[in-house]
Amino acid sequence: MARRILIVGNGVAGVSAALTLRARDDSAEITLLSDESDYFFSRTALMYALMDKLPRRAMEPYERKVWDKQNIQRVRARVTNLDADAHTVTLDDNRTLAYDILILATGSAPRPLPLEGDDAVREGRVHFVTLQDLDACERLVHSTARAVVVGGGLIGIELVESLLWHKIQTTFVVREGWYWPAALCREEGAMVADHMRAHGVTLVTDDEVRAVHADANGRVKSVQTKNDKTVACELLGVAIGVVPNVRWLSETKPPPALGRGIRVDERLQTSLPDVYAIGDCAEVIVPNKLDANGEAKRKVESIWYAAKRQGEFVARGLSGAHERYAPPRFFNSAKFFEVEYTTVGDWEDIPEGAESVLLRLPGKTVSARLVHDGSKFIAFNALGSRWDTPVLDQWMDEGRSLEWVRRHLHEAQFDVEFGRAPLRKMQETVLEARP
Amino acid sequence: MRRKGPMGWLAHDVTHRGVTAWMLTIALAMFYVVLYWGDGPNGVNPLDKIAWLLHLGRPGQSGAKWTLYGTLYTLAVTLGGIGMIRRYGHNRYQVVRTMVVVFVQSTFAFSVPLFMKFAGHPEHYFSYFWPLKMYYFEPGFIRSNPAPLVLWSLIGSMVLVPVLGVFFGKRWYCSWVCGCGGLANTAGEPFRALSDKSERAWRFEKITIHASLALTLVTTAVVLASAFVPGNHPVLDLYAVKFRESYALIVSALLSGVVGVAAYPVGGTRVWCRYFCPMAAMLGLLQKAGRFRIRVKKDMCISCGMCSNYCEMGIDVRSYAQANESFTRASCVGCGMCAEVCPRGVLTLENSRKRDPQEQLVQIRLKR
Repeated sequence: MARRILIVGNGVAGVSAALTLRARDDSAEITLLSDESDYFFSRTALMYALMDKLPRRAMEPYERKVWDKQNIQRVRARVTNLDADAHTVTLDDNRTLAYDILILATGSAPRPLPLEGDDAVREGRVHFVTLQDLDACERLVHSTARAVVVGGGLIGIELVESLLWHKIQTTFVVREGWYWPAALCREEGAMVADHMRAHGVTLVTDDEVRAVHADANGRVKSVQTKNDKTVACELLGVAIGVVPNVRWLSETKPPPALGRGIRVDERLQTSLPDVYAIGDCAEVIVPNKLDANGEAKRKVESIWYAAKRQGEFVARGLSGAHERYAPPRFFNSAKFFEVEYTTVGDWEDIPEGAESVLLRLPGKTVSARLVHDGSKFIAFNALGSRWDTPVLDQWMDEGRSLEWVRRHLHEAQFDVEFGRAPLRKMQETVLEARP
Repeated sequence: MRRKGPMGWLAHDVTHRGVTAWMLTIALAMFYVVLYWGDGPNGVNPLDKIAWLLHLGRPGQSGAKWTLYGTLYTLAVTLGGIGMIRRYGHNRYQVVRTMVVVFVQSTFAFSVPLFMKFAGHPEHYFSYFWPLKMYYFEPGFIRSNPAPLVLWSLIGSMVLVPVLGVFFGKRWYCSWVCGCGGLANTAGEPFRALSDKSERAWRFEKITIHASLALTLVTTAVVLASAFVPGNHPVLDLYAVKFRESYALIVSALLSGVVGVAAYPVGGTRVWCRYFCPMAAMLGLLQKAGRFRIRVKKDMCISCGMCSNYCEMGIDVRSYAQANESFTRASCVGCGMCAEVCPRGVLTLENSRKRDPQEQLVQIRLKR
């Protein structure tokens, strides 16, 4: 009999698993469950939809006929319970679905921000993670003149950019001393801050939103910060990160082993038989590394590329491959308004004493930062130009020295034709790698 | 979500096939119909009269409508080009390309022929070649024009176009020189996202554009045969005239003018280029065999869809990017907008003989 494979979550992890499985197994009965959307859509495109640059339909990476052609069932429902012994899940419409293999790809949920006065708010407080968040933002932008966005990461700046496009006066509140210290050094943060301010963002650092006030109708009317600043606004965006969406699992009997996310082994299997977890909700093992308690180090790779990689991995494993999952070196890129950002390297593992060489193009928002541990090139951060990430990653694998990398740096440039960042004109500063 | 207010409504409506978009399309179509078929019994077109009023021709002079049309066209390309540079000023490829396109349009496609006309010489468009300008291959043209002009057209069509096509792909012509592409990539910019991205449209395009190329080749062959085959062949001569006339009507007037430009607000900017242009068909075949390609950075695509949405040729760029597949598509005009709008810097255009091994390794491209 054909295997019944049930995938909870139709984000990039679940969909990558489904499509990869189908490519290797013609007979499996594959079902994708989602309570968010009928069709797979690209979460990363939310900001472009909000800015009217993409129609909703264009957010879907595959034509709709693909799902029938690939013989993948789609079910729109929320899973409320899981019975691993009986191999069934219960849905919010009280249906029960049986499975042979269950893949949990429930993604993450916005990290909640406890606020004084939150109970009185019925309208105007948004996150920016789901399609329903997009609906809420679209409902609100026309009645918003001023907005406050909390949280100094990528989702925050994307929401800020979208609100600004709607000509909304936007205040961006960042808890730390500069924008995104988890990814940028002080100097880089300052460059991005200048760019944001040039676009009209009111950037507030070293402060947090403490309380929210609503008007008689329950609509947000102002926020109050820890430094006792009151900012009038009709919309409050909360983007202080995401957490694995696993809370519903703690009530199931028996629940899978949970840490920050669902704990999985090197085949991405949970502690429950025939149940796997992938993507933002999974907590994977980092091989050959121990954490502070002397246990196997674990991490949640909450990023698009990892979700796709894990989805493909689990599908290969379910169709006969014998591989052990190991998170590769971190890489990412993004855009802060027009400023491109590229990063490669495991920033959490930068050793004490490592040094950064910061190259900057005077007068422009263009920089490249090479981090080395005295002998080897170990991490890279760049603003304002494009880089061939796999090449930089390869140099790190090869243990190239700082001097070697500087001589060959132009080989990793990925800018548009006629637009190469002029490396020769860049001025150099040496910094500690850890801020 | 559109911006607030009446201007927000209008900006959205006109670029998203709303009422105003259809009105604009109808207006543009009517303009072209009057331009091509609006000559009165006395040979005077209403547009001639407007041209006379604007001093774009001596009163009573017929054909002044073409000067008016050229002026409007060049103005649209120039103003649209300024807008383009303001919007994408941070991208040097777009800036350089737009400046070249505006320059070529305002000189070789407008002022040079205009001066030639004033000087009493038949106008000549140095930036157009066979098969787009079929006339430049015809015996009538070859016999009656000075040698340098004839040589430029012949060498351009036979040598320059194919050689540059192999080295740089289609883009050197379609996105840097051609007036049709010039208008699309300047004044037409707000409409570029309207192109049809479906697989069905791709299948349709492959049929129509090669049919158009075939029609061009047959017409050229018949015209050349009628002129150069020795002896008297009244049937052949008749067919030569018929083919030329129907080519002028269907391809030049109806498809490149009425359909090509008037469809901007409802079908996107490159309807003519994508489905019908014989030059694009020929360059596309050369491109497939040549060096140009779009390189995809490995594992970096987030499937957001900006590249596909902004592709005016309706290429589903995302389907290649998310499969880590560098690619060359015959229809790609190399405008570079997919690389510009990509929020992760995944795409780049290149002319490279080198093919990285990654290209052989196609990942989860779907079984069709």
